[in-house]
Amino acid sequence: MELIQLLLNGLSLGAVYALFALGYTLVFSVLGVINFSHGAVFTLGAYFTYLLIGGKAGANGLLSGLQLPFALPFALALPLAGLASALVALLIERVAFRPLRQRGADSLLALISSLGAGVILVNLIQLLMGAESYAIPIGTLASLPASLSIGGARVRTVQVLLLAIATLLLVLLSVWLEGSRSGKALQAVSEDPLTAQLLGIDSDGMIRLAFGISGFLAGVSGGLVGLSVSIAGPYFGISYGLKALGVLVLGGLGSVPGAMLGGLIIGLAEAFVPAEWSGWKDAVAYGFLFLILVIRPQGLLGRPLDTKV
Amino acid sequence: MDAALLEQMLLGALLALSVYLPLRCGQLSLATPGFYAIGGTVAALLSTRIPAFAGTGASSPLPALLLEMALAGLLAGLLALAIGGTVLRLRGIYLAIATIALVEILRVITLNLPFTGGALGIFGIPQPFAGASGYAGFTLVLLAVVCWLCSRLEQLRLGRAMAAIRDDELAASCVGIDTAAVKLNAFVLSALLAGLTGALAAHFLNSWNAKLGSFDASITTLAFVVFGGSRTWLGPVIGGLLLTALPELLRPVGDLRLIVFGLVILLGPVLFPQGLITPQRLQGLGQWVAALGQQLRVRISGVRRP
Amino acid sequence: MEGFGLCARRCTALGLGWLASALTLGGCDGPDPARKPVNLSQGVPLGAVLAMSGNANVYGQDQNTGLSLALAELNGKGGINGKPLALKIEDSGSDEPGANAAFNLQINRGVLALIGPTLSQQAFSADPIAQRRGVPVVAPSNTATGIPEIGPFISRVSAQSSVIAPLSIAKALQLHPQIRRAAVFYAQDDAYSSAETTIFQKALTARGLKPVTVQRTQLNDQDFQSQISAALQQKPDLVVLSLQAVDGGNMIRQLRELGYKGVIVVGNGMNTPNIYPICQKYCDGILIAQAYSPELRSAANTTFLRRFQAREGGAIPPQLTAQAWTALQVLAEALQRLDRRQPLQQTNLAEARKALMAELLSGTYQTPLGEIRFTPEGEVIQKDFFVAQVRMDASGKSGRFALLP
Repeated sequence: MELIQLLLNGLSLGAVYALFALGYTLVFSVLGVINFSHGAVFTLGAYFTYLLIGGKAGANGLLSGLQLPFALPFALALPLAGLASALVALLIERVAFRPLRQRGADSLLALISSLGAGVILVNLIQLLMGAESYAIPIGTLASLPASLSIGGARVRTVQVLLLAIATLLLVLLSVWLEGSRSGKALQAVSEDPLTAQLLGIDSDGMIRLAFGISGFLAGVSGGLVGLSVSIAGPYFGISYGLKALGVLVLGGLGSVPGAMLGGLIIGLAEAFVPAEWSGWKDAVAYGFLFLILVIRPQGLLGRPLDTKV
Repeated sequence: MDAALLEQMLLGALLALSVYLPLRCGQLSLATPGFYAIGGTVAALLSTRIPAFAGTGASSPLPALLLEMALAGLLAGLLALAIGGTVLRLRGIYLAIATIALVEILRVITLNLPFTGGALGIFGIPQPFAGASGYAGFTLVLLAVVCWLCSRLEQLRLGRAMAAIRDDELAASCVGIDTAAVKLNAFVLSALLAGLTGALAAHFLNSWNAKLGSFDASITTLAFVVFGGSRTWLGPVIGGLLLTALPELLRPVGDLRLIVFGLVILLGPVLFPQGLITPQRLQGLGQWVAALGQQLRVRISGVRRP
Repeated sequence: MEGFGLCARRCTALGLGWLASALTLGGCDGPDPARKPVNLSQGVPLGAVLAMSGNANVYGQDQNTGLSLALAELNGKGGINGKPLALKIEDSGSDEPGANAAFNLQINRGVLALIGPTLSQQAFSADPIAQRRGVPVVAPSNTATGIPEIGPFISRVSAQSSVIAPLSIAKALQLHPQIRRAAVFYAQDDAYSSAETTIFQKALTARGLKPVTVQRTQLNDQDFQSQISAALQQKPDLVVLSLQAVDGGNMIRQLRELGYKGVIVVGNGMNTPNIYPICQKYCDGILIAQAYSPELRSAANTTFLRRFQAREGGAIPPQLTAQAWTALQVLAEALQRLDRRQPLQQTNLAEARKALMAELLSGTYQTPLGEIRFTPEGEVIQKDFFVAQVRMDASGKSGRFALLP
């Protein structure tokens, strides 16, 4: 297949991974722990978006027939869904992460309790909205054509939009982290929470901020991916969690541009696997991951690991 | 209690112990489901393709099972030996992620190899025991043996070296412990245990496919250890037994079943940061039991000891 | 430290002892319920095992609807000769260990027969358990080859894909005789997809249409741009999909958005209204062979439709719901005949189960699926199959599976 088509395929795949990984990496950089409820918040964001654009809950959940009395345009519904998701993420931080942090417990425990939070969320969604799929109408991108032709190769417009928004979010996030006071404070907390506290930075507040932003990113990503592939059900976002782990490691755990880069690279790697071997596609992604860990654990753009004595 | 549920619980306990072994020297290895899958595939292939292992009709002889378990454990152990050196150079969360990647790679390989049945897997695996009670009895003995070995480990040099590495790896190497070798030993033992558990499970579930060794299983088995307590071998056993049984025990709750399960997993680490079974609790339990025994003796003999 | 060591040893011994005794005591099952008479105190006991959680939960949900509607209908008409049917549903999750656990639970409860499980993959693992313990199983929706062959107690009301799938190919070629190049897509990590695509490919080759490309996907994939761009390079005019509802729906949407204008034929996994939210207006025109058509004119189907639309407000029932209804219906009718010959309260459970299986296989049934019978192995013989074309309404939100003549 022509190179351009392969590149477009890879970027199309990678855009979604990158979007998912952006929020994922933020929590890791600040707390050093993987937040296993991220996929559930991502899913929640998609459902919030659906309800905010005027969608109606199907017949099978407890909220059967629910429909908000207003229908917002997608561009407005998306950030609002992001805000709602941010609130949920803050709740999860309060219940699953903070008590453990206050006791100085092993970060492993937070992993498990975040898993529990994820399980609760997903099953709650099923209880309330049922197991069926929900559509974000295709006509949402009304004026744009369904696909674009770039250099003779075709790519779906919505995927280009995803990539554009991911890039925008990345730029905004990076600018904020490097340029603003709170962003720099966040970086300080992620390097060493105790020292940051001693320097007068409210570590707890920064951690809450990180979770909030991460939740917002998850929610917005969920809504966007829901636009692209519809909302398949409560387990909609869970399958991204594992690949996103690979993205994080490749890009460098804790590096925001790394998450983007890692996502695109893994997307490209998958796209370049020839069709006859497509069954091995996943093995390529994980093989990559494994190799990077063994050769260069800090990933492409991460901080080098040091051993404390 | 239903014998089949009991069997499922016992298998869970065995897997939890497999995750516990590397954790005992501070290594967060989530590779157990990968080796479990290898074990199951080996047993499934041997018992369905080779007549000597298949036995007559739908039942297979017990020595065949034991041999399969041995071979499965051996294969898993060899693989662990081969990659352990590389993988164990990583620390903390990086090791965990590397082992998760390993599990997924193994899953994809199993899925794509021509002789492992692909998506459908292998089914119709011969049964060495007529019913679940047979399996439960066998696995109970196996678990008891493994528990006993784990408790012996505390006394052995290897066990103490592992504990030292867990407390402070750098210090342990400074006092002359070959940390790489000890970590590798733990990793290989864990793989061995997972492999032979997989072989047993393949017969119990009577069908086997690639999906049984996956990322989800990695996290679940980790939850067993974290929940039950990672300081003594009894913790993972209890964690494995309880958390495997819990979704089944919660059936009366109906639709809220998995939400309650999630709540348990959420609050478990928060309420019991050291897990359910900790050395302090065991000590406390021992003292309480000893006091009880004292009371009973007094009652029986009718004499108060000064 | 010594005290601790001593205590640890004592506690170890204590703990092991307690554990061993608890497990051993717990491990002793009570006397086998199968030797006792059938327990009719709560009604005639039947069990269902459905995937109500996990990835297959949407199928389980549809099946659950069918069972509860059928239960209401059957009990409304007097149950089993005056005795009400007591149907208990257990969640199997979407994996095999869950199905095994649910099967065991139901069997130990003393059910006369089992309906389920949802997935063919689960059936291969759990059905042998029922077979070993002599419990009849009626599968409402397993379509993989080899399931009734698991044993004499295993049967199904869902025709296998090898029978149904070729019909849609035939119809596609009938409507579009100019088709020359076929592209096939399937999910290679899904048991149903892998089994069905073999049948599709055989049917295509038999018609002189060896596929110009076969693309593989993974069940969890949602972006198919790679596979689609590779396939479109071969300029196919027919696309055949063996995918589940969600990935299939996305595949169709992306095929159309990327410019494919030809014919699309889909397999049994997409036999559900759950595809509408996914492919939306692009679902229009896809061809599918069905074991159930809502447009079949028959007394049984009319009854079923009436109940369904009363509960679901005018929607159209999915195939899975009709199949689940049928499974309960055939069991109930067999039980009625059995009870008339040999009253259930006088039979012990093991004998009742065996007699029920024999009675089940010997009957002919008028169901929403049309007229069905069973082979001695338990495979269903269905008189009518249908090929339908999806017609979406103007809004793209909903549609119907329009029966083609």
